[in-house]
Amino acid sequence: MFFRSFGLLLLAAAAQASILTLKSPRFVVSDSIGTQLRAEPISLEHRTASPVKLGGRDTLKLTFQVVEKEDGKGVQPHQTFLRFYDEVTGEEGIQPIRVASNGKAKFDLNPSKPPLSLPPTPKTASGEVNPLQLTLLIGSPEHEPLSIRLFDLVLPPSQPAPVHPDEIKFHLQEELFHTFRPDQKVPNKFISLVFSGIALAPWVVLLGLWSQVAPAPTNLLSPFILPFILSLGAFETLLFTYWVKLKLFDVLLYGAGLGLVTIFTGRQALASISAQRKD
Amino acid sequence: MFSIRRWCLLALSVASLLCADAKSSTGDSVLVVVDPKNQDQYSTFFELILYTDGGYVLTFRSPKAEGPVVIEDDAPNFAHVILLAPEARNLGKDITPQSIVQLLSRKTNVIVALPTKQSPLHSLAARRDTPSTLIPIKVEDHSSPALTKHIEPVWFSGIPASLGSNPLLVPILRAPSESFASETTVTSGSADAVADSVERGGEGLWAGSSLSLVTGFQATNGARITFVGGAEIFSDELAQKETERHRQSGNAAFSREVAAWTFQENLVLRIDKVEHHLVNATEPNEQYTNNDQVVFSTYISKWNPTKGKWEPYSGLKDLQLEFTMLDPFIRTSLPPVRGAPGKYSTSFRAPDRHGVFKFVVDYKRKGWTSLESSTTVPVVPPRHDGYPRFLSAAWPYYTGAISTSVAFFLFSTIWLAGEVNERKRSKGSKAE
Repeated sequence: MFFRSFGLLLLAAAAQASILTLKSPRFVVSDSIGTQLRAEPISLEHRTASPVKLGGRDTLKLTFQVVEKEDGKGVQPHQTFLRFYDEVTGEEGIQPIRVASNGKAKFDLNPSKPPLSLPPTPKTASGEVNPLQLTLLIGSPEHEPLSIRLFDLVLPPSQPAPVHPDEIKFHLQEELFHTFRPDQKVPNKFISLVFSGIALAPWVVLLGLWSQVAPAPTNLLSPFILPFILSLGAFETLLFTYWVKLKLFDVLLYGAGLGLVTIFTGRQALASISAQRKD
Repeated sequence: MFSIRRWCLLALSVASLLCADAKSSTGDSVLVVVDPKNQDQYSTFFELILYTDGGYVLTFRSPKAEGPVVIEDDAPNFAHVILLAPEARNLGKDITPQSIVQLLSRKTNVIVALPTKQSPLHSLAARRDTPSTLIPIKVEDHSSPALTKHIEPVWFSGIPASLGSNPLLVPILRAPSESFASETTVTSGSADAVADSVERGGEGLWAGSSLSLVTGFQATNGARITFVGGAEIFSDELAQKETERHRQSGNAAFSREVAAWTFQENLVLRIDKVEHHLVNATEPNEQYTNNDQVVFSTYISKWNPTKGKWEPYSGLKDLQLEFTMLDPFIRTSLPPVRGAPGKYSTSFRAPDRHGVFKFVVDYKRKGWTSLESSTTVPVVPPRHDGYPRFLSAAWPYYTGAISTSVAFFLFSTIWLAGEVNERKRSKGSKAE
């Protein structure tokens, strides 16, 4: 209850508070010699459409007078600030302006001697500099507050704001890829086939000669000779399997077993052949 | 002592005593250092917000008292500490800036209300009917990661702080653009006072939204500390004061959010498990070979303060994995896996270089707990039989070797199986 009545009382008092306004606000951009590049009044209803460009040696001069709206009397407010705001990066700088007791104020901005409060204006990725939005903030205990959006200002490029070295870890970092060695180049398969064919060429000769000279395999299936032939075949198969998938100690194991078998079958076969020769 | 309104509030809160709304993930014992004369001013904060909503167990201590001690034998006695006595000149032997740093390194969270003897914050280009040291501040919805809800305009009175560029800082409430800090009460002094102070001080005028009023700081071990520019922001008077359009101020909701962020309720993550294996396997390998396809997965949970437990969380959109040996060789994104809540997984090809690598997950975002994990794994070059075999370039050699074997087998078959007559005849003819 107590707070509500307190608020209402003051609201009633606020209805009588006087409103401030600016009289003849104006800005002038002049270069280092003194020639005026751009001089315009500032309208309080419409914002100045085109941004004001300031070169490295130019000077921006802002003049206005703070008056009460009803009677035009000059007022010296307690708080007269010029606010520079970069909408893209969010950087803000506040510069107080000295106002004389009759309400007249002027402010000079020279990029070669910038005030401490000016935010950094680095070059962006596209090579341009972001414009700074200028706002005039006027506050006084006896009057309503006043906030006027002035023109946009484009300053010459500056160093960017300093960044903490750990800051990069707090955002998405760029992806890294490893460059692998390129795959080994393999020669054309056709060439391999041709040379495989050349490697198989002696078979033609062998088979041709054998068809003339080789004896008929009459004793192939005799019980003395067949086991030995099969053992020889098993050894060849073992060596082929070793090449394809076995490891050394496996093949030594199998080879030892097979070798034992081959000793007996071999003795048997060769004994039978030598017995045949004695006859 | 309590007004009727406060009794009604308390009765309501007692009725909802059994359902504590939110819980902290690191414990609920709180030490509050506050002058007993001022303790009732913060009854909304203590009873409604901390005790009822948060389920915290509060222990009060006067600034002049020596106990209960905050840290004893290098172990903290409380999970959280609130220092709400900005006028007190010293807070007891065990609360010094060094001991607060030690508390943070022991994972205790702290809320500190700063003394308001330095330049207070004024705002003239604001509502006319507020005294210049009490400022209404409009809180934008995503202005700070620590504020998870919409907050109505907040009343503030106190001092501002200027922020450095340290990314561990989490500004929670920034000053409005029309505000500025001044050593004298501006309404009484001359109008030139503000412009004069700029020329006097070397760093210019402290003004605008680059100043922060409530600032959080998250240490690298996860402990959080919040510096509040003035203790009045927690007071009942400001919690019930109305902003324009006859709406209640957002002070109570703001205090709730500050307590929730600082006391590890909101924005708290942890890594549950990390696993790695080859693409078609499930068990991890002791070592990987160059050019292996490796799959890395991690399981991440977020603390749910309303349920009071850790829940798998798949909402991290920019998690990254680094495969590092002194410098990151590979950095890829770890996307969440659909269908498995909390699981983030990616697969990549192990580099050509052999050495001892680390799977590093290092996730740091403003306001969130930092996630760090590092798994060491050797990567070895291929063994003698790890290289590709049966190449097409070797076909001539294969055919040569195999045809040698086949020819030997055929020859021995023919020799063994053939007749042995001719030999005997020639032997006999020789003997004659």
